[in-house]
Parts: sequence; C-alpha cells; structure tokens
Amino acid sequence: MSHQRHASSLAWWALPPLLLQCIALNWSAPLTWPTWALVLCALFKLLECRRPFDRRLVALLQLLSTGLLAAQLQGLLASVLQLVAVLLALAGLLGHELAGALTFRGFLQRSLQLLAAALPLALVLFLFVPRLPPLWTTELGAARGAVSGLSPDLDPLSIAELTLVEGSAARVLLAEGQTLPMDAYWRVLVHEQFDGRRWQHRDPPVSRGGSGPPRVGEGTSQWWVVEPSATRAVPWDGSALTTSPDQWITPEGELLVGVASRQRRSFRLQSTQRVADWQQRPPVSSERQSPPDSLPRLKALARQFRPLPTGRERLEAVESWFRGQPFRYSLQPGAVADLDAFLFDQQEGFCGHYASALAALMRAADVPARVVSGYQGGHVVQPLSGNPYLELRQRDAHAWVELWLEGEGWQRVDPTLWATTTGLPAAAVVAESGQRQEENVPWWRWLQWQWWGLDLAWTSWWLSFDQASQQAWQQMLFGAQLRWLGVTAVVSGFVAVAGGWLVLHMGIRPRSSLVQSLRLLTRLGVVPLQGESFPRLCRRAARMHPDRATLLEAMADQQQLLAHAPLTPTQRRHHLRQWRKIRSRLGRRR
Amino acid sequence: MLHRTAKPFFKPSRPCAELKLGHRSLYIIPSRFGVLWIAAAGLLLLVAIQTGSNSTLLLAFVMLGLMVLAMFLTHDTLQGLTLRCAQPSPTFAGEPADYPVQLESSSARPRCSLRVQGHVVVECDRIAAGTTTLSLPWIAENRGWQLPPPVLIETIAPLGLFICWGRWQPQQPQLIWPRRRPGPVGETHPPRSRDGLEEWQDLRPVREGERPALVDWASVARGRPLQAKVFNDPEEPEVILAPASGVALEAAREHLADRIWRLHHSGACYGLQIRTITLAPSKGVRHRDACLEALATV
Repeated sequence: MSHQRHASSLAWWALPPLLLQCIALNWSAPLTWPTWALVLCALFKLLECRRPFDRRLVALLQLLSTGLLAAQLQGLLASVLQLVAVLLALAGLLGHELAGALTFRGFLQRSLQLLAAALPLALVLFLFVPRLPPLWTTELGAARGAVSGLSPDLDPLSIAELTLVEGSAARVLLAEGQTLPMDAYWRVLVHEQFDGRRWQHRDPPVSRGGSGPPRVGEGTSQWWVVEPSATRAVPWDGSALTTSPDQWITPEGELLVGVASRQRRSFRLQSTQRVADWQQRPPVSSERQSPPDSLPRLKALARQFRPLPTGRERLEAVESWFRGQPFRYSLQPGAVADLDAFLFDQQEGFCGHYASALAALMRAADVPARVVSGYQGGHVVQPLSGNPYLELRQRDAHAWVELWLEGEGWQRVDPTLWATTTGLPAAAVVAESGQRQEENVPWWRWLQWQWWGLDLAWTSWWLSFDQASQQAWQQMLFGAQLRWLGVTAVVSGFVAVAGGWLVLHMGIRPRSSLVQSLRLLTRLGVVPLQGESFPRLCRRAARMHPDRATLLEAMADQQQLLAHAPLTPTQRRHHLRQWRKIRSRLGRRR
Repeated sequence: MLHRTAKPFFKPSRPCAELKLGHRSLYIIPSRFGVLWIAAAGLLLLVAIQTGSNSTLLLAFVMLGLMVLAMFLTHDTLQGLTLRCAQPSPTFAGEPADYPVQLESSSARPRCSLRVQGHVVVECDRIAAGTTTLSLPWIAENRGWQLPPPVLIETIAPLGLFICWGRWQPQQPQLIWPRRRPGPVGETHPPRSRDGLEEWQDLRPVREGERPALVDWASVARGRPLQAKVFNDPEEPEVILAPASGVALEAAREHLADRIWRLHHSGACYGLQIRTITLAPSKGVRHRDACLEALATV
C-alpha cells in the first residue's frame, strides 16, 4: 500500500500552494468563488476518497483550480506556485496507476518528464492557435473598497494631517533603451464633480472597446504591475495605447484594466507621442459647473479674472496671484473650514488643497477645470536581475488640475509648484527626502526591490505574448502567406507529438537496475549467453576487460544484493547509491 | 511459433495458442475520466479567452497535450505483451475454475487487469520483465474439454485518461468434470483381486518413518521427489460405480461425479463403468482423475 500513501501524500502536498494563492484572491472578482469552491471540493474529496476514480478526480480538481488561479494571479510567485501545484497534481495522478514502481522522488521526476513531453504540443497550440477576444463581458463584484491608495473622493479640507504611506502603488518597466522619467505625472482618477467642498470621481460604466481595437506595432512597450487599489483605474502617462481588449480609456482620460481592482494587475501598454483623444474632447457641463455661492470670496476673486479674453491669460493671472500670496506647502495644515478659508486665511496645505482651490477658482472664472489625482515622480530601482524600473509608492500620490484652454485642449497645471517651503517647491522637497531615505535602505526593502525586479521581468516576458504580439509574430513569420499558417500548425503539432512521445519513450517505463546494468555491459561488448547468471556474466566481462575487473565484480555484488537480499528501505537506498556510482564510473571509463 | 493476431472485437475470435498484443489486437477509447479531463481543458480554454490569461491558456493546452500523449502511453502499456496459455487443471462444472495465463514481457509494465469475459477481474499491479503467470477464474457450465470465453486484458495506466484493451481466445481447452450433485448411483461388487501387495496403484508423498520398501526408488532415480507407493488392501471392499437405472445419463454423470469425489476423500477403492468404458477398482488421485475424465468425456 506504500504507493497509495505516496499518491495520497502527493495530492495533499498540492493543496498548500493552491490555498496560499486562494488567500491572495480578490473577493470581489467573479472567479474567486468558483476557485475557492474547487479547492475546497478537492480537499474534501481527498479526505473522503475511497475509489481510484475519486483520487483521479482530486487531481483533476486541483488542475482546474490551478487554471482558475492562473487567470487571476499572474505574478512570478503565483506562477511558481502554480507550476508546483500542477507538478504535484500530475505526480498524484501518476501515483494511482504506477503501482509501487516509484518513490516520491520518482513520481516527481516522472511528472516532470510528462510535462516536458506535453509541452511541445502545448507550445505549438499556444503559438499558432489564434487568440480570441472575450466572448462576453461581465460586471460582477464591487468596484469600490477600503484598500489604501487613491480615493474616488478628493476632500483635502477634511484632512488635518496627511501621513505619507510607504506602500508600493505600482511599478513600470520600459523597453530597453528608454529612459525612465523621474518627474512624470501618472494620471489615475479624474474628479470632475464639485459640491463646494469635495471633488468627486464618477465611476464610468464598463464598456469594452472604448479606445478601439488594440494597435499593433506602434511605439515601444511599457509593462505595469499595479498593486490592489480601491479603483478600477490604473496609473498611466495619458498618451500610451492599449494593447488588449480588456483595457480601455474613458473619455475623461482614465485607463481601466479589467474589472477587478482588489488584486494585483499586470498589463502592457505601448508608448506613443501622439496626442490622446481625451485631450481634445470638449468639456461637458459638469466640468463647467460654477462653484456654489457658499464661497463668496473665491467667486469675488474670480470675477477679477473674467474680463481677460482667453483662458490662457486668466490662468497666467491666477498663477501670478498665487505666487504673490504667501502660500506654504505643509502636510499638517490642520482643519480648514472651506476653500475661502484656505485661499485667504490659512494659505497652508498640500497638493489636494492647491488643486482643489485652483480648479474651483478657474471654474468661477469661467474656465472649464477638473482635478486629477495620480502619482508624481517615483524612484528608479536598479535590480541585480536586469533592467531598472520605476517604482511608484503611495507617498508619491499627487493631485493636479486640468484646464480646458481654447485651441490647446485639456492642459495639466500643477499649482502645488507655486507654493513654497523653505524656498523650494514642495515636490522637490518630497523627492529630496525620498532620496535621503534611499541611501539608508533596510535589507528587507532591498530584497523586495530585487524580487519586484524579477517579478517585472517575468511580467514583461510572459505578458508580452498577447493577441497583438501573436499577430505581429505571425505577420513576421508568414508575411502575406498567412494561408500556410494552418498547414504549419498541423505539421508542427505532429512533430511536437512525436517529440513528446520520444521524450517519454526514453525513460517513462520503469527500468530496473538489472536492465540498466545489462545495457551497460552490452555497450562494453558483453552480451549474456543462454542460462548465464548475472555474476557469471560480470566475471566473463571482467576477463574481457581486466582494467575494469574490480568495478564489474562490485557491480555484480550490488546487483545481487538489490535483487535478492531482504533489505530495509534505507539499506536499499544505500546500495542503489553504490550501484549508481559504480555504473557511472564504468560508463565514464568507456 | 504459432502467432496470430486477434480479430476485431465485433467478430468471433479464432482461438490461438498465444497472442502478441499489437496495433491490430488492441483497442483504445477515452475513459470516463478522460472525458472529464477534456471538459476541464475546454473550461480552462474558455476562462483563458475571457480573461486573456497566458498561464491558463498554456495549462489548457498542456492538458490537451497530455490527453494526446496518454493515448500513446496507454497503448504502449499493453503493446508487445504476449499472452500464452499454460496447462489448465481440471475442475467441476458450475464451480470456479482457474485458467492459467502466462504474460511475457520484455520490460516491466504498469498496472493492468485481465478477466475471462463475463467473469471476475484479476488485477495485476505490475508486470515484471520476463514471464508472469496469472490464474483467471471462470465458471464452466458444461462438462468435457471446454474453451473458456475470450480473455480480456485492459489497462488505463499511466494516467487513467484512456482505456486500452485486447481480446484473446485461448486455444488450450480445460477439462471440465460433470457437476457434482448427490444422487442415486448403481453399485456392483466385483470378485476379489489377487494381486494385493504385488502391484501398487498410486503414489503419495513419503511420511516420516515410512518403510523404505514403500518408496518408489525408480522415480527417485529419475530425479523426482521421494514418493511412497499406495497398494490395494486385498481385504478392503471394492465397488464398481455405474449410472443408476432410470436416471437420465447427464444426471447420472453428476451423481457419479459426486460419489467418486466422496469415495476418493474417504480413501475407498472404487471402479467405474460407463458406456463402453470400464475402469477397474482402485484409489488415488490419478484413478480419481481418470474416472472423472471418463465421466466428462465419454
């Protein structure tokens, strides 16, 4: 029954990697519940399995749940755990039928061999079978949550003290040769609704294809890994192009990826220098809406700028007014009653205060405006594993303003830069403190950076093969002769099956030590005669090869012990080791 | 060497002494688990399309690849295996009989199962390289030299995704004695035999302390184990069994088979007369088998 124990323990070992990944799942994602259900089914079935069919069913459930997990978790660690789970599930499946022929390690080796044999055909299908876009779209689960990060509601006046959080928000890896921008603005949310105090973000409905079909071959790639956040929108530079059907850009200029936001998202974008469509979209009524009458001083100030003929001139006038005031950047502004109090009394705050005040002022001056929140800056990490990447942390969160200027479209204005603290712009101060901190990086942070570097490298490699890449690759391979694709795929499939069969035939059947010894002796030119025992065969071989006589006699002894002696498992392992050593030494001396 | 391939399963198989399983004698279809496997791969494919996940897509294709490879692997488990019949022992009709089958393989093979069609399955956990002998149970309904129904060998190893089987009709018949059924038997008492201790009737294993004169030294000289001669006791009553009058011959055979078996176990001396065959009173296994064979075949 030892083989049953092996098979059963292999099936048990496959469960921890699955459960670990299940814990990391986002409960609002539609696939989470079926995944948990499958893993728990596998667990209970394993507890209660009585028939061989039940045990095989457990392996199938484990493979199925691994597939669902792979659809949700695509990071490096998750992929490694998925590979381990697949390997153990296959080993468990093999264990039921290869009755007692193999040890635990043997089962694992056989599973690896089986995977290696199936891989050529799987790769042919993976490369040649055309990718299909999603067959239907669903909107399941909550889009909002309580995860730290940017908030859909920007209400800086209620924040007396802003604490900088060190958590990582996103990481971006650019194509080789591209310089990582250190001072770029990475937009996430657009807040266009203002109630006199808060700037609210309107969550757009899920609509696929909003940014058109993915474009192929334009620009270079950016690979992003975005940590779980409360919003579906992810950071981007405002000009990149989407590469897959589950990415789309809203008319306000937000980039949405998939539906679930409470888990890590990995995706690819393509850099471009073109002006994005959202920048030219005329303002809607909510972006023109004037602030309420509860801000009389702000409205009075705005009336001074209204006579100016263009939006650009009004902006310049507002900027000079700001610069003329003693505004100070501070993370501890204390409670602020309203924007009038901020603009004319306290004049102290952080980016949210400035963006909120400028946008309200510009709207009151009849210039369409909105607040945008996202990240600014970030820091470059140079991992040992390869290309440098830019890490955006929660502390890099920032808010700025976008104004609609005639003839120019939506333009970014960062009023925080107009405030001063000890003579330096606020962003520069923040960046400087960040750099000081990096000189004294704790070891765990350094390790984390290295791991993220590997994770990004994996993401950029693995995610780069999507529908667009497949089309580009096939275009490159076949050019205009795409009709040969089917023939090539079928021929490659046959070659792959033949290759897999060869891999399996080289060693899938259990080979006894006697068979291997006889094969070795055959290579030495010693073939057993009718009725000749193995020791006698070895003695004859020793006479034919006197220089190897000692080794041949030792091999005969070990073989006899393995075949006939009543050995304990430890002794058997010891003699098998000895026999392997002798075999390899004999093999080397050929 | 007599070698034939089996006919397809829908045609009656021709008996053959041995069968080497190959492409023309093995059949393969997906098992129930294999169908589930394909369905699971299809589901993963759908999830991969919906989510655009490369890992899920690759796993679905790996599962399909394994399915294709499993077809060859399962077929290889049986391909090249030679089935041969050994000498079967006689047994009574209506009682479990063992049909010996030898499996000859050049290499070790994983699990497979064999059965005489319509009878109990025998699991063979691992077929070692060389020759393995298995006894397949079956129950014969009729007396005489009987061929068992075709032997089926099947396997789902190593992955359980396909079921591969072969069908073989062995050529070696098995002697089936008439069914044992108690009933009336005709008995006659012949005149005393005079040979007494002169001629021995049977051989049995030597017991401890046996007189050396009883040992069959001639067979020992031929390399056989020590055996003692069994002599008839001149004073022992003898009986000749025959079909009872007024009983149908087939029923009478069954009654005789039962009586012979019981007389043999009680150590009695008996003979048999049926149709044109007469077997003189005697005892021992050889005599018993001769009587039962006569009952079965005459």
